[in-house]
Amino acid sequence: MAYAGPRDLLEIDLTARTARRTPLPDAVFADALGGVGLAVLLLEQRVHGPIDPLGPENPIVLAAGPFASTPVPAANKHALAAISPLTGLLNEGLSSSHFSAVVRRCGLAAIVITGSAERWTTVAIDGDAVRFEDATPLVGLSARETTKALRDEYGDRSLRVCAIGVAGERGVRYATVENDGRQAGRGGTGAVFGAKRLKALALRGRGEVVLADPGATAALSATLRERALGPKTAKYRVLGTGANLRVLQRMGQLPTRNFTAAQFEGAERVTPERARESGETYVELRAGCAGCPVQCEHLYVRRDRDRRRAAASEYESVWAFGPNCGVADLDAVLDAIGRCDELGLDTISTGSAIAFAMECAEQGLVPRDAFGPALGFGNGAVLLPAIEAIATRRGLGDLLALGVRAAAARLGGGAERFAMHAKGLELPGYEPRALPTYALGLATCTRGACHNRAATYDRDLRDPSADPDPPTRAAEAIAAEDRAVAWDSLVLCKFVRDCFVDFETEAAALWSAVAGLPLDGDGLRAAAQRTWERKRAINARLGWTPADDRLPERLLLEPIAEGPFAGRRVEPARLAALQLAYERLRAEAGTVAPVA
Amino acid sequence: MTVELFGMARTVAGVPQVELALEGPVDLGQFLRALAEAVPALVPDVIAPARDALVEPNLLLLDGRRAPQAGESFDAGDRPCVLFLASGG
Repeated sequence: MAYAGPRDLLEIDLTARTARRTPLPDAVFADALGGVGLAVLLLEQRVHGPIDPLGPENPIVLAAGPFASTPVPAANKHALAAISPLTGLLNEGLSSSHFSAVVRRCGLAAIVITGSAERWTTVAIDGDAVRFEDATPLVGLSARETTKALRDEYGDRSLRVCAIGVAGERGVRYATVENDGRQAGRGGTGAVFGAKRLKALALRGRGEVVLADPGATAALSATLRERALGPKTAKYRVLGTGANLRVLQRMGQLPTRNFTAAQFEGAERVTPERARESGETYVELRAGCAGCPVQCEHLYVRRDRDRRRAAASEYESVWAFGPNCGVADLDAVLDAIGRCDELGLDTISTGSAIAFAMECAEQGLVPRDAFGPALGFGNGAVLLPAIEAIATRRGLGDLLALGVRAAAARLGGGAERFAMHAKGLELPGYEPRALPTYALGLATCTRGACHNRAATYDRDLRDPSADPDPPTRAAEAIAAEDRAVAWDSLVLCKFVRDCFVDFETEAAALWSAVAGLPLDGDGLRAAAQRTWERKRAINARLGWTPADDRLPERLLLEPIAEGPFAGRRVEPARLAALQLAYERLRAEAGTVAPVA
Repeated sequence: MTVELFGMARTVAGVPQVELALEGPVDLGQFLRALAEAVPALVPDVIAPARDALVEPNLLLLDGRRAPQAGESFDAGDRPCVLFLASGG
């Protein structure tokens, strides 16, 4: 049987204003599955050495999830990959909802965009047709405003759009790409769009997405949907990820004030749970992706404010502007999150950049009045002016727009000590000093400090006192990385990961039912490993070496000061032993060259 | 014995902590039976119907830093916490 799903690759050259559509062979889908696997494969074919991430040669690859526009729940998703202007390495993000589904309804498996337009451009894809439209009138608009403007212009409310905001236009190295209110957030693909003067992709597709085995797909999807409405996802449906804040505070693993502490005295004042509990002060709104029964997003806004200003309360975003900036004012935190979404900024990197600037200001490396209100930990009033300055690249904001690694290098004076990143990507809100497997995963992750590609904190948190030997811990980190690749290739939302009894076997059966090609659990594991190896191969072509797999000095030198994990730090010798074990296991399992 | 509740356990119970009428060291089974008796609403979404295990992804950590080992007894001084992590996002 042949691959049943949409199989066309659309290659767009913005310089030449041309589009070419070709079918991908079955072998490509058998090899890479879809989503991140397909995006990485297509990128590997196009990146042969170091390139300028903001140059026309950097390919943007958008690859649909193989379950998008099918009955499979929590799977209307796509991958968006390019070389990151923040890390200089491979960056593959995910986004979701209606836009992802419409990519497949256009008959497309993937889109590759190269070149650079002479003027701001919207690429309009209407089924088989591709048009290059002048986007000059859209410059300065948010992604949401851009979507509305394009729908008005085309007279079509069903038009699906992904777009950049002001931050992407101005080349902020951690600008996002947004569709349907969801973002491919990390690593700055929005800046790559901006460098190509690509404001938006506008899609209209009404084609049928064929299933290889509709009966089996329906049955397997129904089982998954039923499980996704049960206790395994209750935490996301009822509370959302913001509930992590109280937990991590109790465990003494809540990075605070740019990782100078691991407990935040103001945590209770910014936890989204408190907003939910104090119903007289805030309104809670719910949202989620198309076709997802979980509807995980919990948004809050004060009762006396316009509900359109409700902001998402994802843990990472609340952490970035709350504990990490020492800000104990939930309104200031929610306003910062909402403004980042409007401007098209990654909340984790933006919060981290501001926390970095706060510490630099307290150490006398940057002016306290750079953004008006005093720049220092705890001052929520400085968040919005700082965010505006970053997005529009004004004053100190222009420096912070480069990310903390580059900003610290330019500042000098020891600022590198305050730059919390791995390979240039700012750290997310978990405490590596208390989470040894996670620390290893952060160091080795091909994307930089990404908690969703090296989600090894699950293992650590189940028993924080466990102390397995380095090969065991390294094997756990590898298993977590490879499983994340499998999730991201299928592309299934990780929030339903506990809904599988035997993930690889069940997910492979689902893919076979949808795609019509054979796949079993071992085949899924092998495909994931291939993709991981491709990721590293791309990075190696870009100049990466194992020596780049480092963690910030602060985590190695400064122990946690207080709380249940007081005294813990990342022991350099221990980390080196883990990395050696990791490299040996990777080399034994695949084609990765051993590291001495 | 004071038990700290987080996440779903806290939401279901409607309180941040509960007092259990337990004296001296208890094992996990004794602890969960007492907790289910004090807060029946925790069964079945947080505590399994047999009252012998927590439902994944809920977990018990002592003082937020270690899981009790199989057969291990603990007491009030160990500061039991029922919590979970909603990872990702």
